[in-house]
Amino acid sequence: MTQRPAIDVSGLPEHGFDAREPLWWGNLFLLFIETTMFGILVATYFYLRQNFQLWPPPRVYASPYQVNPLPDLFVPTINLILIVISCVPMILADKAARRGDRLAALIGLTACIAFGVAASVLRWHEFSALKFQWDENAYGSVVWFILGMHFLHLLTATAEAVFVTLWIIFRGFDVKHRVDITITSVYWYWVAGIWIPLYAIVWFVPRWQ
Amino acid sequence: MEESKSVHVRKTFAPEIDERERRQLELTWAEPRGFFGWFTNTHHKSIASRYIVTAFIFFLLGGLEAAVMRWQLARPNNHFVGPDLYNEIFTTHGTTMMFLFAVPIMEGIGLYLVPLMVGTRNVAFPRMNAFGYYTYLIGGLLLYVGFFMNVGPDAGWFAYVPLSGPEYSPGKRVDIWGQMITFTEIAALVGAIEIITTVFKQRAPGMSLNRIPLFVWSQVVTSFMIIFAMPAVMLASQMLPADRLISTHFFNVAEGGDPLLWQHLFWFFGHPEVYIIFIPALGFVSSIVVTFSRRQIFGYTPMVLSLIATAFIGFGLWVHHMFATPLPMLGQSFFTGASMIIAIPSGIQIFCWIATLWGGKLHLKTPLLFVLGFVAIFVLGGLTGVMLASVPLDLQVHDTYFVVAHFHYVLIGGAVFPLFGALYYWFPKWTGKMLSERAGKLNFWLLFIGFNLTFFPMHQLGLQGMPRRVYTYLPEMGWGNLNLAASIGAALMFLGVSTFLLNVLWARKSGEVAGDNPWGADTLEWGVSSPPPSYNYFYLPTVAGGYALWTQTDETPVVIGLSTECREVLVTHVLDATPGHKYELPGPSFWPFITALGVGATFIPGIFTPWGFAIGGALCLFMLFGWFWSHPRSEGARASEKRKHEPPKSDAAHTRLDKAGLPAEGEA
Repeated sequence: MTQRPAIDVSGLPEHGFDAREPLWWGNLFLLFIETTMFGILVATYFYLRQNFQLWPPPRVYASPYQVNPLPDLFVPTINLILIVISCVPMILADKAARRGDRLAALIGLTACIAFGVAASVLRWHEFSALKFQWDENAYGSVVWFILGMHFLHLLTATAEAVFVTLWIIFRGFDVKHRVDITITSVYWYWVAGIWIPLYAIVWFVPRWQ
Repeated sequence: MEESKSVHVRKTFAPEIDERERRQLELTWAEPRGFFGWFTNTHHKSIASRYIVTAFIFFLLGGLEAAVMRWQLARPNNHFVGPDLYNEIFTTHGTTMMFLFAVPIMEGIGLYLVPLMVGTRNVAFPRMNAFGYYTYLIGGLLLYVGFFMNVGPDAGWFAYVPLSGPEYSPGKRVDIWGQMITFTEIAALVGAIEIITTVFKQRAPGMSLNRIPLFVWSQVVTSFMIIFAMPAVMLASQMLPADRLISTHFFNVAEGGDPLLWQHLFWFFGHPEVYIIFIPALGFVSSIVVTFSRRQIFGYTPMVLSLIATAFIGFGLWVHHMFATPLPMLGQSFFTGASMIIAIPSGIQIFCWIATLWGGKLHLKTPLLFVLGFVAIFVLGGLTGVMLASVPLDLQVHDTYFVVAHFHYVLIGGAVFPLFGALYYWFPKWTGKMLSERAGKLNFWLLFIGFNLTFFPMHQLGLQGMPRRVYTYLPEMGWGNLNLAASIGAALMFLGVSTFLLNVLWARKSGEVAGDNPWGADTLEWGVSSPPPSYNYFYLPTVAGGYALWTQTDETPVVIGLSTECREVLVTHVLDATPGHKYELPGPSFWPFITALGVGATFIPGIFTPWGFAIGGALCLFMLFGWFWSHPRSEGARASEKRKHEPPKSDAAHTRLDKAGLPAEGEA
């Protein structure tokens, strides 16, 4: 022993949930980036809106000619409900991971994957509900871009859930990956949450202007 | 088990440094060797050094492009290069300097020094850090492969539509520019997340917010700006290639698109970008001023607040690049006001530095010389900035050499001079050798005189109406003499940079050995050997005051109890930096490199076909799976490791733990 005072940290735990974990912060900053990205995309939407008398514009090349081709509501609304409900199994998985309940976490995550796949399939139909192709006019371009970007995040979130599920099954339910599940859930809530305003904009701005 | 759950930080005395332990730590943190080892390295110092060297090579390339332009413009009616090549050269020059040099080198220096300054062993996400570097390298190579194959971008560094749109820029030049942006933005964002997380969660115990060095503050503020600014240009740099490749209409007037949308998106990123380059330089200046005046900084809190204020106001200026477009008067007035207000926080910092230097015992070494040069040049650039903020003057000199003069004064004065100061200042830490002072002074004066000779006449040329981006001019315009002066100045700058390179080569071979702390500086990195060991600190330090080394005494404790057998770091709490938990970082891995190749295989084929995105995206997904699934060498070592220290009996700082051995809720 020297006379140099020291603090001994060998008894400290090896992981922490939420704001204690560096990865939680990394994920948070990623979500800052993505939220800014969607914010700018929404600004783009309203900026382009100024260039149109009618929004959506008439479909002049279509047969029959459509004066006010509002995007269909049915499938997108079902999908919105699906996406929001998918948070419930994720909350269960999140809580199970904190408790250390392997089975409940697995059930929750599997349900999330099912929701994620279903939402992705429905998203495919949402594109056709827009009634425009991306290359018809600026309206078509921007709504396709909004849907497409969110689609990408939906796929990423589902892939993350698949990954942690496989890890639990094949590698075990270790503390590090329990923390990872709680961080995956933050990403999941964000993907679901950001879709509510985006849905409202894409489907209701044309109706309520 | 019951005892080990209640604990956790114990006060004791440090044991003697055991050579076996030290060798074990060295082995654990050993850098992988050999050709393949290069691709698996995840050390922050190695990755950062690569950033710095690569970015400096791009600086030299961009400088050579500038030299070609000055050669071309030295006399009227010159035909050294033709108009098409000239377009490619000025575009590549601007793009290189902004995206491949300035941002990466500032982040590179941050990635090297921030973990050292906050007293930890590596950045928070070492593999992602390596991934960022490879992505940046791929972007840089893409631009230059394009340039040498005569598909270098030619629509200016901000690629305004409709010039850069499908109608006026057929071919692939602009697409290469667009995807190069994507690569460099990914790298910048990755670096930003690394820096903020490392500073938030891995500071040495005791380094509360008010003790963080100004350098680290400047890096954190910059990183936040990157996070909020870069998404705009990432979107824009996908929309433009989409317009060109799959006929979207974001910028196509005929189908309801809007060219001004491009300008808004680009400058919403582009103006903060200036501050992203400039704010790290302020961090260099603060470090250098404190060290060479041997005093604490005058007004630490106003300095930090000024940095943050600059970042906020920096987002409210972008429209001043667009005063020549038909915008509402009210909007223009708002942006004029904001452009003038930003001079206030900059001014506060300049006065604080002057107050620090005033009456201090100045050591006029090369780094300080560059700082003084910075103050002189930057004040001139700031003055023309205030002039340009007023709409009538801006309209008059829009797109003339006056603007060229202004932004070179701001960028070279505000960023490159402090950068050279920083290179002279930290070179001893990085290499263990001192750069020559005499060559350093020669370097400074050549650059300072050369710079002013090059760019000062450009103010006058601009007022006389010489537009930027013209490849030549007629003798009757009367611009010949001033252009010749500018070109002579460029030659002096070339000599200055060459002096620097020779100085580096000489110092590496036969420079004076630096020792740990040649300048008597205050920040933690000067407390370890030069160059620092791979694990940075044998015992992590704790901090007792704002100027870590100056306030250190024999009574300042060190941190013991971290594993030597795995890459363990200490995670502390965000505000007061009290110890939270231990955290194991991954070791060397191939996956960052492979994943970066996957990103390359997404966006480069994406220049030619939209299928590139689908196929490359799927490829990236598999690579990320491989990344997360892999066991990096060091991970898991902890499980087999025997406890070196007795499970401590509780005395100090208790943390309640739940059943799983994790701190209970509400103790963040």
